[in-house]
Amino acid sequence: MTLPKGFGSSGAGGASSSDVERMIGRRVENMTGMITVSYIAAWLATFGGTAAGYFYYPWAYPTNSGHYAFIVLTVIEAIGYLFCVKVMEEGSKKNSNGIIAGVIGATAVGTVIISLYVGF
Amino acid sequence: MAQMPALIPKEVEIQRLKKIWLIVIAMGSTAASVEVDNFVDGSLHQTSIRDSAFTPAHWWLYSHFITLPLGWAAAAIYDRKVPVLRGPNNSINTGLKMTILGYLATMFTIGVNEMWHFWFVEEIFAVPNHWMFNMGVVVAFMGALAYVVRVYARLVELGAETPGENPYVAEMYKMALEGKLYSRAIP
Repeated sequence: MTLPKGFGSSGAGGASSSDVERMIGRRVENMTGMITVSYIAAWLATFGGTAAGYFYYPWAYPTNSGHYAFIVLTVIEAIGYLFCVKVMEEGSKKNSNGIIAGVIGATAVGTVIISLYVGF
Repeated sequence: MAQMPALIPKEVEIQRLKKIWLIVIAMGSTAASVEVDNFVDGSLHQTSIRDSAFTPAHWWLYSHFITLPLGWAAAAIYDRKVPVLRGPNNSINTGLKMTILGYLATMFTIGVNEMWHFWFVEEIFAVPNHWMFNMGVVVAFMGALAYVVRVYARLVELGAETPGENPYVAEMYKMALEGKLYSRAIP
């Protein structure tokens, strides 16, 4: 097996387990925290983007349209978040179903509250 | 399925392919949201024939012209760490080449589009200044599909994903692994 420069014991060939660890870096099943933060950031950015629309361009973008976009995008982002975490953890012993349920539930409640009370 | 030579340890390759997969899922979410915005944008043009590029329905639509090229660029940069995804003569993957060419055409057409609409205010889908927009996006999506199928097929071959049960789908994955999904001549 050909290894990148700097890997493998000199001349003996083959990768040791420490080589493999160095080549992998952070394992995808350990990225749940980063993915969760990214999802929440995307959700907040979606709120910011739609709010900018109905606060600054209310004639072009009524609040109801903004909330429609916000709700649809939240659903799509939530599906993407779910896929990301589930695919990254499949085949490992990790299980973050509780975190996923909590975060998606919290954003769902937040979306409903924002859609009811913001921008009218 | 065809066995590809192992140039990096299997575990390393699975992890790297899954990191590419993360980028692909994020871009898939963006593309799905833009499908919804096609309707929002369409309803805007029912009432406002030609408007500024900065109206909200266009922010949403045009955001994917930024997000998807940047995402594919990230995939192309990271892709170099997975030998099986390299194109002919160790060049960039053929699917990614098509994607980049498609988006370059799209970016060029943004300028053409604005010049056209400076004089002509209609916003009909079929006007000539939109042709390269649409063709560019189609070429980009075709290349992206070839790339995504190849990544998935390799994950199947490495035992990290479930193979397709449909024999025609399985055959498609096999062709993708051999670099023959779209052409037997271009790997």
